[in-house]
Amino acid sequence: MTKGAIKTKINGRSYEMSIFPNQTLLELLRENLGLTGTKCGCEIGECGACTVLLDGEAVNACLVLAPQIDGREIMTVEGLMKDGKLDPLQESFMDHDAVHCGFCTPGMLMSAKAILKSHQNANDVEIRTAISGNLCRCTGYVQIVEAIKEITGEHGIKE
Amino acid sequence: MKPFEYISVRSLDEAHAALAEHGPDASILAGGTDLLIEWRRPVGTSPKVVVDISRIKELKGIVTSDGMVTLKPLATHTEIMTTAVIRDCAPFLACAASNIGAPQIRNRGTVGGNIMNAATCADTVPPLIALGATVTLQSKAGSRKMDLVDLYVRPYHTNARVDEVLTGIRFTKLPPRTRSAFIKLGRRNALSISRLSVAAFLTEDDNEKIIDARIVPGAAFPVWQRVKEAEQMLIGEKPSNPLFVACGQKVSEMMIAHTGRRWSTEYKEPVIAVLVRRALEQCARPDGVLIGVTS
Repeated sequence: MTKGAIKTKINGRSYEMSIFPNQTLLELLRENLGLTGTKCGCEIGECGACTVLLDGEAVNACLVLAPQIDGREIMTVEGLMKDGKLDPLQESFMDHDAVHCGFCTPGMLMSAKAILKSHQNANDVEIRTAISGNLCRCTGYVQIVEAIKEITGEHGIKE
Repeated sequence: MKPFEYISVRSLDEAHAALAEHGPDASILAGGTDLLIEWRRPVGTSPKVVVDISRIKELKGIVTSDGMVTLKPLATHTEIMTTAVIRDCAPFLACAASNIGAPQIRNRGTVGGNIMNAATCADTVPPLIALGATVTLQSKAGSRKMDLVDLYVRPYHTNARVDEVLTGIRFTKLPPRTRSAFIKLGRRNALSISRLSVAAFLTEDDNEKIIDARIVPGAAFPVWQRVKEAEQMLIGEKPSNPLFVACGQKVSEMMIAHTGRRWSTEYKEPVIAVLVRRALEQCARPDGVLIGVTS
C-alpha cells in the first residue's frame, strides 16, 4: 500500500498531507489531526455523531474515505467558532439546555449548520428531517429543535 | 480497514484502464455509504485495489431530452429527490430517494451505487424497474444496454463484468393521467432499511379506466420483478377498493410462489398485500403523487 498526497482545507486552514488510503475521514480528523470534537459513535453511518460538512453538505465522516477529500473543504465543530466567539447556534444550544451528555452535540450542530446554510427559514419539519440522521440517547430532541428554530430567519438571526 | 491500493480516476478511459489492469481484484468506489461499512466488517469482503470513480465529471448529473430522463450513476439521492424534473415526471422515484437513510447518507450515496450494490432492499430500484429503465454498461471493449430488470441475477449479484462501469440509467417520463406511489416499511422513519416496499403507478384514460399499471415490490422477491399477474387484473377496470385488495392478495400469492415459505413469510404474506393496496389507493387519489417527500 502506498501513501498518497492530498490537499484540503479544514476549518479554513490549508493542509497538505501524505496519507494511507485505507482510513476514513473520521480517523484522519481525530487521529492524524487531533480534531477530536468530531465524535466516533457507530461507525456505520447510523448515529450521526461524526457529522461534518464536506463542501457545505452534511456527511458522515465515518463513511468518507480519507483520500476522497482531496481538493475539497471540510468544516468540523471546531470550525464553528469565529474570532474567539461561539457560533450563534452554539449559544442557542446552551440557552435551550439542548446539551445533556454532549456526545451527539457536535454532530447535531453540524447537521443544523447544514440546514441553516441551505434553508435559512427552515420550518419544523425541515429541521427535524435535517437532524433525522443524528441520534441523541439522552432524549433531548425537543430542546435541540427549539435551539435550531431560534436561529432560523423566522426568529431573526441571533447575534 | 485492510490495506489496499487506491486509484482515483478522472475519466472513463482512466477507469477502464485501471479495471482492465486489476480485473477481479478491483472494487469500484462511488459514494462509499455501503462499501465502507462492508470493508470494515470483520467478516466482510475487502478489496485489493479501489478504483474511485467519484471524480468522473461525465458520470455526474441528471439529463432530460425528448421525453426521456437519463440519470448519471453519480447522481446522489439528494439530487434525485430535489430535482424538479424527477419530482414532476417520476415522483415516486423522488419519494423513494427521499426515504433512503438520512441527509448525511443521501448527500453521499449515489443511484449507481444503489443499483450496482444490488441489495434487495435498494429503494431506488423498484420505481426504476416500474419505469422500465434501461442501463448502459461500458468497458474498454464497448458498451451494452439492457433492461434494469435483467441486470440482476440474485441478491448482491449483477450481470456486470468486472471491467464494466455503469454509465447511465434511462427511462421515459410518466405519461399524462398517471399517478405513482412508493411506500416503504422500515423499523422507523429515518435511517431504516426497507423490510418491504412497493413502487406502483396507474395510467387512466379519459373515462377513468386503467390503461397501464405497474407494481414492483422491494425486498419481497429474490430479484426484482413487475408482478404482471396483478397488473393485468387492473387493466380496463375502474379503480376500486375491492380490486386493489384482490391485487394485493395476488402479489402476496406470487411472492410465496417465488420464495416458498420462509421464516419471514408469516409476516410478509399479509403485509405485502396491504402495502400494495395502499400504494394503488395512493395512485388513485388526486393528491397521491408526492406523499413522503419531505424537502
